[in-house]
Amino acid sequence: MPTQIISVLVEDEAGSLTRMSGMFSRRGINIHSLTVSPSEKEGMSRMTIVTTGDEREIEKVEKQLNKLIEIVKVNILDKNTSVVRDLCLLKVYADKENRAEVIEIANAFKSNIVDISIRTITLEIAADPRDIDRFVELMKNFGIKELFRTGVTAISRDVEKKSGG
Amino acid sequence: MTEELKGTEIIVKCLKEENVKNIFGFPGGQLIPLYDRLYDETDIRSILVRHEQGAAHAADGYARASGDPGVCMATSGPGATNLVTGLLNATMDSIPVVAFTAQVPTKAIGTDAFQEADTFGITMPITKHNFLVKSTDMLSWTIKGAFKIANTGRKGAVVIDLPNDVQQKTSKEYYRGEIKFTGYNPNIVPNPLQLKRIAQKLVEAERPLILAGGGVIQANASDDLRTLAEYLGAGVATTLMGKGVIPENHPLSLGMIGMHGRLCANRMINNCDVLLAIGCRFSDRATGWSLESFAPDAIKIHCDIDSSELNKNILVDFPLVGDAKLVIRDLIKFIKKYEDVKKDTNIWGKRVNQLHNMCEECEVVKCRGDSLTPEVIIKEINKFLDDNAIVTTEVGQNQMFAAHYYVTKKPRQFISSGGLGTMGFGFPAAIGAKVAKPEKQVLDIAGDGSFIMVCQELATAMTENIPVVVAILNNSYLGMVRQWQELFWDKRYSKTKLGTIPDFVKLAESFGAYGERVEKVSDIRNSLKNAFDSGVVSVLDFKVESETNILPMVPPGGKIDEMIGVERCRHK
Repeated sequence: MPTQIISVLVEDEAGSLTRMSGMFSRRGINIHSLTVSPSEKEGMSRMTIVTTGDEREIEKVEKQLNKLIEIVKVNILDKNTSVVRDLCLLKVYADKENRAEVIEIANAFKSNIVDISIRTITLEIAADPRDIDRFVELMKNFGIKELFRTGVTAISRDVEKKSGG
Repeated sequence: MTEELKGTEIIVKCLKEENVKNIFGFPGGQLIPLYDRLYDETDIRSILVRHEQGAAHAADGYARASGDPGVCMATSGPGATNLVTGLLNATMDSIPVVAFTAQVPTKAIGTDAFQEADTFGITMPITKHNFLVKSTDMLSWTIKGAFKIANTGRKGAVVIDLPNDVQQKTSKEYYRGEIKFTGYNPNIVPNPLQLKRIAQKLVEAERPLILAGGGVIQANASDDLRTLAEYLGAGVATTLMGKGVIPENHPLSLGMIGMHGRLCANRMINNCDVLLAIGCRFSDRATGWSLESFAPDAIKIHCDIDSSELNKNILVDFPLVGDAKLVIRDLIKFIKKYEDVKKDTNIWGKRVNQLHNMCEECEVVKCRGDSLTPEVIIKEINKFLDDNAIVTTEVGQNQMFAAHYYVTKKPRQFISSGGLGTMGFGFPAAIGAKVAKPEKQVLDIAGDGSFIMVCQELATAMTENIPVVVAILNNSYLGMVRQWQELFWDKRYSKTKLGTIPDFVKLAESFGAYGERVEKVSDIRNSLKNAFDSGVVSVLDFKVESETNILPMVPPGGKIDEMIGVERCRHK
């Protein structure tokens, strides 16, 4: 089942998050990840929802979201023309035996070291979620103590229109 | 800025501006401020029900009969939770209801105070929208907004939760003019290009059929729909909610479709070449279980005010968003441009009429001696009531007998719980309908199981002088479930035999109401006359055969045109 990213502009009212997520649970649709943050418009928040479903199912979700009074705009983001980011913080077991190896892989993924202890390294990576998936897979070899991901946030790219004439 | 007003004053001012004349409600601690303000109010009638569920259903019935939003109110905690069933009932059938619920003072919210409930959270998924008013400054904006949301677009129930202090504090804020919501612009103007394509298909159709739902009634477009049908010579089938869209004695009327629909209507769904569905949502009770075999060969057109209903259950060829009235009027305009399309005398129109007549003949039920059957009683009710009478129903066999046999002549005169299927809806809804239309005869076709759920409202109807008539088809069973147990569960009547049945005549009399037991066909007419002449709320206890079935029906898993129990039908 394909993953879909839905970007929603919503009025910043008490209960609007519950109303939105309640629609998903009531209609039996799973939310894979969800981020909420302020937007460029005052009094409006932006929610980025990752869910799975085919075209018809996503069309239903879009229409149901549009029906909610507080929701102002719903965009289904095209993954090919959007910038998609996820932030991951992970604590990996690393002693002097393998610390260098962990750092090497981290550098290759442009991941920052944010903390080091005798037995662990804490890494930060902000990237396309698929890159993070690969990074996490590699780090599993060393043993992951803790892992946090913020969930996906995404923005569409502006496509430059060719000037006529 | 304007004069300083108390919260309850603002509420009443808003209600008057929304033209609210009647409120159904039940008091309680946190609602005392608002009830205190209504104590000497002369322009708004406040009707005391005996259970909050009755208030929600009465407001619902009021809205269905009048076309205006119904208003109900209840106190915090149990008062609000008792409204829940009625609010969902209204939302499922797209009926405009505005409910005021009291709440503990804002400072006490979240402390598990006495009679505190998270009404905002509880009613969120069962209403079109809901509000918790946290400041008296926001009262007028919220109330006006609530009425707008309830009564525009696809209508529904809206809850306004009112903390005690918000009712009592004062404010200078009073919003005038229309309330605007950035994210709420119900798109009701239909797309002209799509309309033109649809008109073309309808004109080209050889066997057009219209399926009309409650949306046509909500849009007050019944007359237009009839004109369209006559232009096209199209048969008109309805959903349960659409009953009354076209007079059911009209030659083009085919009656209700669905699980308990008329065989001829169900057959026509699968025989038409163009199906125009307006203001309906293809509920599972209307389509049967097999969506692929619903009008498989027809070009399917679906017009609804709620875009989320389009392609939700049935995939259609031509979806169109729009208010039913605008859609139908524009279709007529487009179709008029084609010459000689007025086809009401064409072959298909004649076929529809033939089926209509044949079905009518089948409906003439042979009575077994003088003993009562639901069919005979409803036939007599048909003869007794005038063309303007309002009939409500409970839920179950009584409802389907009524839907099948009661000939509805006009819109807003058949009131029934469709989507939610709420037992105990019909009697309080009848009370609401009678309050809206005091000049009309109002009769509730009830079952003994349903009526006993809400019989306490006899006190409401007596105290407030609301003379409706309840006709109980008393079979001592929960008839519809028993019917399923008989047909599909080896006659294992688990908990559907009701055991102790009260003496409904004495029950009515104990409230001061009129009661009469009827056991013979020859007494039906007189009993109806006695009830309506009594001038008070009346209960007619019709003792019917205990194990009758409402047939034909589509069995579980069946296709819409493959019904069981069609032996009586001549055009099987």
